[in-house]
Amino acid sequence: MNELPSVFIETRNLQKTVQLPSSSLTILTDINLTINRGQSVAIVGASGSGKSTLLGILAGLDQATQGEVFLAGQALHQMSDDERAALRAKKVGFVFQSFLLLPALTALENVTLPAELAGLKDARAKGLALLEQVGLAERADFFPAQLSGGEQQRVAIARAFITKPEILFADEPSANLDANTGEMVENLLFDLNQQQGTTLVLVTHKASLAERCQAQWVMQSGRLTLSTDSGAKHAL
Amino acid sequence: MHFKIAWRMFWRELRKGELWIIAFALVLAVVTVVSLTGITESVRSALMQRSSSFMAADKVLRSPLPFNSAYFDTAAQLQLKSARQMQFNTMVFADDVMQLVSVKAVSAEYPLRGKLVLKATDKIVELTPGHVYVEKRVMQLLQLDIGDKLSIGATELILGGVIDQEPDAPTAGFTGQPRILMHINDVAATQVVQPGSQINYRYLFAGTETQLKQLQTSLEAKLTPSDRWQQVDRSSSIGSALDRAEKFLLLAGLLGIVLAACASAVAATRYSERHRMAVAVIKALGMTERQTKLLYFSQLLLITMLSMIIGLILGQLACFGAQFLIEKWVPDFVPVFSARPLLIGIATAFICSMLFALRPVLRLAEVPSLEVLRQGAPSVRLDVVHLITGAVAVFGLMWMFSQDWVTSALLFIGCAIFAGVLLLLAALLVRIVKPVAAGQSSALQLALANLRRRLWANSFQLITFSQAIFLTLLLYFIRVELIGQWQAQVPANAPNHFMVNINDQQKLELTTVLQQQQLSAGKFYPMISGRILSVNGEMLQEPEMPDSAENGQKGQQTKNDNKRQGFGRELNLTWLSELPTNNQLTSGKWFTAESRAEVSVEARSAERMKLTLGDKMALSIGGQEVTATVTSFRKVDWNSLQPNFFVILSPDLMVDFPANYMTAVHIPAERADLLNEVARQFPTVSVISVSAILTQINEIIAQVSVALSVIMVLVFAAAVLVLIAQVQASLDQREQEIAILRTLGATKAFLLKAVVYEYLVLGLLAGGFATVLVEALLSVLQVRLFELPFQLHPMLWWMGPTLGAVIIVSLAMVQLRGLLNMPSAVLLRRALHA
Ligand SMILES: Nc1ncnc2c1ncn2[C@@H]1O[C@H](COP(=O)(O)OP(=O)(O)OP(=O)(O)O)[C@@H](O)[C@H]1O
Ligand SMILES: [Mg+2]
Repeated sequence: MNELPSVFIETRNLQKTVQLPSSSLTILTDINLTINRGQSVAIVGASGSGKSTLLGILAGLDQATQGEVFLAGQALHQMSDDERAALRAKKVGFVFQSFLLLPALTALENVTLPAELAGLKDARAKGLALLEQVGLAERADFFPAQLSGGEQQRVAIARAFITKPEILFADEPSANLDANTGEMVENLLFDLNQQQGTTLVLVTHKASLAERCQAQWVMQSGRLTLSTDSGAKHAL
Repeated sequence: MHFKIAWRMFWRELRKGELWIIAFALVLAVVTVVSLTGITESVRSALMQRSSSFMAADKVLRSPLPFNSAYFDTAAQLQLKSARQMQFNTMVFADDVMQLVSVKAVSAEYPLRGKLVLKATDKIVELTPGHVYVEKRVMQLLQLDIGDKLSIGATELILGGVIDQEPDAPTAGFTGQPRILMHINDVAATQVVQPGSQINYRYLFAGTETQLKQLQTSLEAKLTPSDRWQQVDRSSSIGSALDRAEKFLLLAGLLGIVLAACASAVAATRYSERHRMAVAVIKALGMTERQTKLLYFSQLLLITMLSMIIGLILGQLACFGAQFLIEKWVPDFVPVFSARPLLIGIATAFICSMLFALRPVLRLAEVPSLEVLRQGAPSVRLDVVHLITGAVAVFGLMWMFSQDWVTSALLFIGCAIFAGVLLLLAALLVRIVKPVAAGQSSALQLALANLRRRLWANSFQLITFSQAIFLTLLLYFIRVELIGQWQAQVPANAPNHFMVNINDQQKLELTTVLQQQQLSAGKFYPMISGRILSVNGEMLQEPEMPDSAENGQKGQQTKNDNKRQGFGRELNLTWLSELPTNNQLTSGKWFTAESRAEVSVEARSAERMKLTLGDKMALSIGGQEVTATVTSFRKVDWNSLQPNFFVILSPDLMVDFPANYMTAVHIPAERADLLNEVARQFPTVSVISVSAILTQINEIIAQVSVALSVIMVLVFAAAVLVLIAQVQASLDQREQEIAILRTLGATKAFLLKAVVYEYLVLGLLAGGFATVLVEALLSVLQVRLFELPFQLHPMLWWMGPTLGAVIIVSLAMVQLRGLLNMPSAVLLRRALHA
């Protein structure tokens, strides 16, 4: 890799086209984006502009039709599904709009799941510590159905940080929550992010949330432009 | 690897109840198979033990050659019990009277099974050398008293008593020859055994099934071509009752298995639909597809093991229950423990889970992790691989359970056609519904519109619903109707005594005597014994053993296949102007008033004699030779306990012979004294009791009824399980819609009505389809398999649709209430995210 070590994510001429029964639809066109290690980045844009699609590609959940994606120096576009899964287990954390906790597992078990998948030791202790940090230590044995939306999202945040991921992807983490709860969840996200020095990629339409990030990218019908960059020194 | 995760998820899912339906389905499949195989085996072994007592042994080897001690040595080495028996005809003399008798000489071990009761006046006596024991009428025929001497061949023996009960008394072919029993050690002294004399040697063996099998294999090489194993006579009344019983149980069992297997497939499919999100999350968190597959595979494996263990225990308990009941009926029944049901149970659990449930579970692991960001639609298209594995599994189960390719293949093809026809009908019907559903203003209209919209899913549900109802109804009708019809064939007043050797005058007197006792004599059949000499001038191939023709009725192969096979013995002939009711012409024409010298032959023996219509048959009757033209073949119902004849002559031939008659009478057990009366008044008439056979047939029917009831319960449980699983699965599909409509302000009552209408239509359709198919199949089964008369079942016509509608609607209501009682916000969240 000839990348500077500080560059954590880089895409080159990324394009995403989906095949529909009668036509094809281009969702992403010519995406060139760089995110540095430890940086927090917001992707904003109208609904349907392609934000979630891009997030999926960056996180290795989906593959681009054309172009290159590098994550932590590794060429995602050349990796197999399994290799990308292994990379996610080690380096990536997620927070989703609809929480996505496994309904059959308790809060604690949901939190420790990624750690167990990554084969980490002391998963339980780490999980309890994180639940403590998100203020849900006494809810450890509750099932998701017994938790409020905000509590569920806090559990999801704890789950996202347990493997000490190098990068965290969050897709509209507070969109399903009321303003107060949303803010609490956002604070937690940023606190833990700061504390662990994680790179953060956040998709949102909330301006206030986007502003808390060091860089803001705007998605407009599948094209991405940098709007503010308060933290980094690089040119487009 | 991630076994810890799998283990934890397993317990969690179990606690949440998500796995229960799969578990129930598997448990049910295992219970059905284990208890059915076990019960069938118990019933079969009870029946076999009974049949054994009718042969006085478990296995009988017959031979025209003198005893080969090597056979007995082999049996002794295998620790089998054995006994010797010889049968021959000879003359006995008592003072001045002489009589041709049929002698049975037995060794001291006789009988190995069943009971021999000999009586001197009223005292029970033991079989002792130097003595003979006779049928009661022999005493009259020979004018003998107990203690008198009679000579057989070169020796004199003492009349030791009468035969009161004899396990292997002949039941078929009333040759009318008086029978006597003696000890085998006395045979040599009689000197009747001469080179060329016709003696039938019988080796009697008894032991466990495995010992007997071993014996058969080790004797295989030593047997001479004329040695022959005696079969449980399948063409006799008991034999065909046994056959029918096995068919009933087998069929019922197969139906249950198909249902339980389907339940596990439906449940697994639903489980998979509900776990798409979980899989997407796990995969997003970094689990590879292979690991995910392994995770769900191990979950399935765990649930399989758990269900299997529960199923084996419950199944075995059911077996013990059945054995307990059987022991009540068959007092000397020895329950046999066999590992076969358990092994089949284990195999069933794995076949069901691996071939029915594994496929949807593994496909679940293919859900892309991207679904965490955008929910994909679960695929509703037909999974061909699943269909194929399912079909293979169904067939495999059927074969494993029945060990019978033909039955399995037939039933399998039946099921396939059934599914195909239903799919077509469903698709058609749902299309027809289309124009009716225009607006969505009324609940009914919404229901119809929904039915149409979910065309594909609905036809699949319809198949499952109909199948469950179909199998339940089918089994119910097999249980109630067929058994009922069968029972009706053996009514309480079925003739239980045959009276033979009645002359013209006695015929009238006997009728009067019976009428005085308020008993009715049956039809009198003129009867005379005769021998078939030749057909079209060709001699018949005589079997080496005089009476193997009876055993050969089930198509036993003889070496000389191209020769016409004769009976090798005298037959009972009759003349009739009317076709007996339990006979059916298979070809040719029945006699008319103008018929001259014609003969009608029982179809199977006609086949053996290679007869065609128009053949000239020469018979020797009472020393005279008679030639008759074969003008018809008949199928004889051996189940009917009526006098049956292989050969019936046209009435014109009767003129030349003195007629002797036989009849069948029902004499209630409490009027047994009447028999003595008859014996006293008509000393030459012989009375043959078939009440033992009747009792046994009734026992078989009773046992089969109980076994079928157990199976009924299991099949019904399986059917309900399938319905629950399917209603749940179909409600999942409706959940989101219900949530949205609820949020949009639809009232509970409205939604409830809409869904109820939808399921009502589905239930009525499913019940209706099931009805048509049950009726079709029942008529085939009745006529083909069980050889019962064709009959429609009007009760079915309202029962089917009603049952379908009631069960499906009530299951849907129960599950729907839960949904509707949730606050709409919770419901919406659940529907959209979970
Ligand atoms: N697999 C697909 N097939 C068809 N269209 C797709 C597919 N994936 C994405 N799209 C389309 O691409 C567009 C972008 O979708 P995406 O989910 O990325 O939008 P978004 O910016 O995240 O919107 P929102 O803010 O509403 O979440 C949408 O119009 C969507 O319909
Ligand atoms: Mg989005």
